[in-house]
Amino acid sequence: MYARLGTKFAQNAILSRVPVVRRMSSQSFTHILTSQPAKPSVSLITLNRPKFLNALSTPLLLEINRALDEAENNAGIGAVVLTGSERSFVAGADIKEMKDKNFSEVYQTDFLHNWTRITRMRKPVIAAVSGYALGGGCELAMMCDIILASPTATFGLPEINLGVIPGAGGTQRLTHAIGKSRAMEIILTGRNFSAKEAETWGRVSRVVGEGEGEVVQEAVKLAVTIASKGGIAVQAAKEAVDAAYELSLKEGLRLERRLFHQLFATNDQKEGMSAFAEKRKPTFTSS
Amino acid sequence: MYARLRPKLAQNAIRSRVPVARRMSSQGSYTHILTSQPEPSVSLITLNRPKFLNALSTPVLIEINRALDEAENGAGIGAVVLTGSERAFAAGADIKEMKDKHFSEVYQTDFLHNWTRITRMRKPVIAAVSGYALGGGCELAMMCDIILASPTATFGQPEINLGVIPGAGGTQRLTHAIGKSRAMEIILTGRNFSAKEAETWGLVSRVVGEGEGEVVKEAVRLAVTIASKGGIAVQAAKEAVDAAYELPLKEGLRLERRLFHQLFATNDQKEGMSAFAEKRKPTFTSS
Repeated sequence: MYARLGTKFAQNAILSRVPVVRRMSSQSFTHILTSQPAKPSVSLITLNRPKFLNALSTPLLLEINRALDEAENNAGIGAVVLTGSERSFVAGADIKEMKDKNFSEVYQTDFLHNWTRITRMRKPVIAAVSGYALGGGCELAMMCDIILASPTATFGLPEINLGVIPGAGGTQRLTHAIGKSRAMEIILTGRNFSAKEAETWGRVSRVVGEGEGEVVQEAVKLAVTIASKGGIAVQAAKEAVDAAYELSLKEGLRLERRLFHQLFATNDQKEGMSAFAEKRKPTFTSS
Repeated sequence: MYARLRPKLAQNAIRSRVPVARRMSSQGSYTHILTSQPEPSVSLITLNRPKFLNALSTPVLIEINRALDEAENGAGIGAVVLTGSERAFAAGADIKEMKDKHFSEVYQTDFLHNWTRITRMRKPVIAAVSGYALGGGCELAMMCDIILASPTATFGQPEINLGVIPGAGGTQRLTHAIGKSRAMEIILTGRNFSAKEAETWGLVSRVVGEGEGEVVKEAVRLAVTIASKGGIAVQAAKEAVDAAYELPLKEGLRLERRLFHQLFATNDQKEGMSAFAEKRKPTFTSS
């Protein structure tokens, strides 16, 4: 797959993109790199289409989905980190790919349907955003469970400038996160917003410290922490939090209560509560 | 209609209330409001009951609704700005009008039903709030898509002091925007909150610079920007964002996706995406 890029160029592209912490070779991926920077518990997916600022084409989405499948099915992985390059997380969808489509085609194929694999992940996904996260890139980040931003991160939903609207969740997830007035302004004007604005408004958890690769390192640290908890409880917690945007409060509380009850059938609950009572550290087994 | 106010007083009242940016005579016989087009694509509606701090009586609402109808049907209009005076956006509903009503009457007439015309606007409405926006005034602002606030803006839902509750959306829109704890405090105590608080809490997009008329100028600038985008995409974007408060996330995403797909049947999508690919500015035709 690297023959296309020229071996030496490809090597440099890879080496400069994968965080220094830990590197393993990527299986047959062309547009992304995968690694386990903090074995055994974290999978790092790095978008790697630097010439296109990681614009999301269908082939790229398919590779992301495959990498997500691998992380989901790998018992040793507890959390996933998704990132791009310093300059660009993802600068948008591939406009050339879609500009000539007509309504019939996009409707029949449910165009953008393959963007939603990430929302079906049972394991947590943390977006480490540096540089541009615009349009589809912003939407991809918002599909993740947690977003950490570099001070250089620039967000936006500029689809209105193309005569369309965000089609991969932007109108919903931005509004839920930052409220109507700000979401309307961002979406109707197409203007960008900064990492600081995203943090103040509540769209990202926080802006991490300065420095190249900082946000990825922070995200990996966060992922290691989460992956150190009992995996069943982590999965249930994520399910419950996500349900807050689906259900009325009463039904959300019922779902949460049932998930809570179910966890009493797990070893991790027994171990966790015993360890607390015995004033020792728990050893979770995700069972 | 101005005979009632006496011509000279009326002329002064009008001139001091319409922003310097652009003035045209009010179309159609309005008594309680002024309408103008500060820019070709923007309709400006100015509440004009200075002696009553723009208190919202039924006749005022009926005129607002008529002006909204005109803007909606005005092919050249892309966005609407709603404002009051420097001193008061709208200091509340007309209490004298409702104080002697009893339950049977307010229920049979669905009192306040004519407050909701603004929520059926397909074109975006920006509230430019200076001075008091209390009770019904705060609710009117919150019905708009975007709120810009002057540093002098003062918000509040003081209905509890009258032995009632907000009846035109305050309990819902304020809570969605600023969260339970703050909304409960504001609504249960009836206390005012400042422009700065409104900005920090996320109810308004931002507080604009100091100076008389600044917030209206900013709002008109924002309206011009939005009106310059393709009108169909703007309408669809607004519909999608509003739906975030009506639908569970999954259904909101489905609605967004369908609206997105439908836009591929428009000229504006073809023009917008071609312009992007050809690295030129798009010319939208709202078709």
